[in-house]
Amino acid sequence: MKSTKLALLIGTALVASATLAFAQEKGGVINVATVGEPPTLDPMASTADLVGIVSQHIFETLYTFDKDWKPTPLLAAALPEISADGKTYTIKLRSDVKFHDGTELDSKDVVASLERWTKVASRGKQTATTISGIEAVDPLTVKISLNTPYAPLVSLLAFNNSAAIVLPSEKQAEPMTDFVGTGPYQLKERKADQYIQLTRYDAYKSPEGEANGYGGARHQYADEIRFVPVPDPNTRVEAAVSGQYDYVDSLPVESFERVKGSSASDAVMLQPFGWPVFVLNSGNGMTKNLDLRKAIRASLSMEDMMAAAFGTTDFYALDAALYPSQYTWRTDAGTEGAYNIADPEKAGELLKTAGYKGEPLRILTSRQYEFHYKMAQVAAEYLKLAGFTVDLQVVDWATLTQHRADPTLWDIYITHSPFLPEPALIGMMSTKAPGNWDTPARAAAVDAFNAESDPAKRVALWADVQKVIFEEVPFIKIGDFNALSAKAKTLEGVSPAPWPYFWNASIKK
Amino acid sequence: MLRYIFQRLMGMIVVMAIVVTIVFVIVRVTPGDPAAVMLGPEATQEDITELRTRLGLDQSLGLQYVYYIGQLLQGDLGQSIFLNQPVTSALAERAEPTFFLTLFSIVIACAIALPIGIYAAYRRGSFVDQAATTLAMLAASIPSFWLGLILIQVFAVRFGWFPVSGYGGPGSSFADRMYHLTLPAIALGVVSSALILRFTRASMLDVLGDDFIRTARAKGLGERKVVMKHALKNALIPILTIIGLTAAVLISGAVVTETVFGLPGVGNLVVSAVLRRDYPVIQGALLVIAALYVLINFAIDMLYLLVDPRVRY
Repeated sequence: MKSTKLALLIGTALVASATLAFAQEKGGVINVATVGEPPTLDPMASTADLVGIVSQHIFETLYTFDKDWKPTPLLAAALPEISADGKTYTIKLRSDVKFHDGTELDSKDVVASLERWTKVASRGKQTATTISGIEAVDPLTVKISLNTPYAPLVSLLAFNNSAAIVLPSEKQAEPMTDFVGTGPYQLKERKADQYIQLTRYDAYKSPEGEANGYGGARHQYADEIRFVPVPDPNTRVEAAVSGQYDYVDSLPVESFERVKGSSASDAVMLQPFGWPVFVLNSGNGMTKNLDLRKAIRASLSMEDMMAAAFGTTDFYALDAALYPSQYTWRTDAGTEGAYNIADPEKAGELLKTAGYKGEPLRILTSRQYEFHYKMAQVAAEYLKLAGFTVDLQVVDWATLTQHRADPTLWDIYITHSPFLPEPALIGMMSTKAPGNWDTPARAAAVDAFNAESDPAKRVALWADVQKVIFEEVPFIKIGDFNALSAKAKTLEGVSPAPWPYFWNASIKK
Repeated sequence: MLRYIFQRLMGMIVVMAIVVTIVFVIVRVTPGDPAAVMLGPEATQEDITELRTRLGLDQSLGLQYVYYIGQLLQGDLGQSIFLNQPVTSALAERAEPTFFLTLFSIVIACAIALPIGIYAAYRRGSFVDQAATTLAMLAASIPSFWLGLILIQVFAVRFGWFPVSGYGGPGSSFADRMYHLTLPAIALGVVSSALILRFTRASMLDVLGDDFIRTARAKGLGERKVVMKHALKNALIPILTIIGLTAAVLISGAVVTETVFGLPGVGNLVVSAVLRRDYPVIQGALLVIAALYVLINFAIDMLYLLVDPRVRY
């Protein structure tokens, strides 16, 4: 165990050191093995992580996130000027930025793209309700007017899925037909299920300053980046060990030792990556009852679920808070006595209070993510112990996403999320999300959080939101888990990231 | 003869019409929604409904069927929901790896199965016969994906002689693409050889006991000529049938092997289309696969005419 931890530390240190200022070499092709073929290359049209991973090299947003997950300018020249009432955002654009078709970026493109975003993107549509106008003030200035102060706006404009990317004003077709962005790499060829080939865009204008997370300078060391779908996880492991690819995304954690022993690749551990979560159907059926939701929580052993799903604590951590300590949003508010309870007696009492009569508790899960299924199996046993009748429905992911949209078909569904830079991006907090969480307490806490623009006050207000989440149990966080990837020993400049990027990466010859 | 061919062609059309209808219905009644998959995990029900409308999935099943049949009659298999290309071109792109994988595998399977099967039958009960029968049983029991993973570990990871996965990058040469097919073709060829070997042995055993073989030997023909010319030619019909059916199975997509080796073939396309619920691709691919089955069966029947002069329709 100690040796594993040591190796992890060394691996992380090696990867971290690789991001330091190396004299990186220009040229070469970076081959990236991905989990599959993205459903689209239009990051506005999808919230899938894979879409964001690939398309962030082609398209750019007004803002992005630095290494501390703070919004930082990308196509914008600076963070926006926000009016005193928090309702007007004035955004200055960088000059001389060119699209891949050679045309120059201006405010008309930004206005057209943001309008498309409010019509096409899930997150854009949600934001649209707060937007009263988007206008071009001059060729390099855009003004967004809001009905009500909405602090998450900049983070929403920075996020890379359901993303507010900027396209040329005359190339706004939906579905997207021209994949023309301002990014450091341009799309050369997509052969579905074979490769997506991106080539360096020579007229790219990088933001200034040191590289900082997704922000700062974007160097184009590699001539090409190729994303190759390798859907079978065992094959991805073998590909990592053999060194066929320069980067292999999303490996099963149990392959860590094998990858570590490779002479061609290093293990890349993103620690922590995200959180598995049980979403409860707060608006319908038996789980509408708060005591019953609390009974579910009281039944569960997070420790056993995480152990079953991820093996050893090298790959997971038990933590009730919705953000780990690496994020400013970290707070323990509301968590006391509300996590890893595994108390069937307490759960039984809550069930009595809830008037539970043995109706089957329908848990929707999928084996597309094996750890979801493993957690579901453990949870089912603990729930039975507490007196629940459990109906574990194991379906494929496409069926799960369809069923969860119908609130009459399920009581719990299992999903996971990376830790998102801004809590407002957490989909489950929306009243339109499948969990149907819509209560006065939610509205009061979330609205206050969204309206506040002062960063320090927002951190305090997030604690209030988390408290309400623990009081009302719309979803149950199971723990923190790490993500494992692999990078070739010859690949430099890649940092562990939830959505890995390769514009600052280079191949050592 | 012509009447027989006409009847077979009519039968093929009926089979295809049934296949089209069954596939259409099964695909639509299977749970899962392409719109939800396309939009990703954070999409709301409103977004999903909107996209379903845009894709025409909100129409009644009957109307969608009529529209689909109308498209088919014009030779249009539709547009993939996810791939941003027509189904015909998606299938055409996948045809090359699948075709050559099939060809490569069949060549390997025949190279293993035919000589061993013939020799095992000729030396019935010998050590070679017993070993061949045992090995054939073993090969038939091995899942091709398992063999594939073992081949990857040995020849790609340990020795580094072959790539683990993929079909070559942009601009890769034909030779490079075939090089990428080596391990999957061996995996499929070895597994497929078992059935061909058993059929070859059984068929040769049947023929070697016939009177005309005795006559040939009595005429003083050499053993080589007796076995390779007289016996083999007469034993070929069931062997050809099984080779043809094996080819049909492989060309319809060696689903698991293509997925394990990350080959962009028809099998991989069908698997990803099913997982994504890309209805037009599933329908188009299954239609083409069914057509291939029907055509290969027809071709085998026609081949009988060439191989066996006694066969007349």
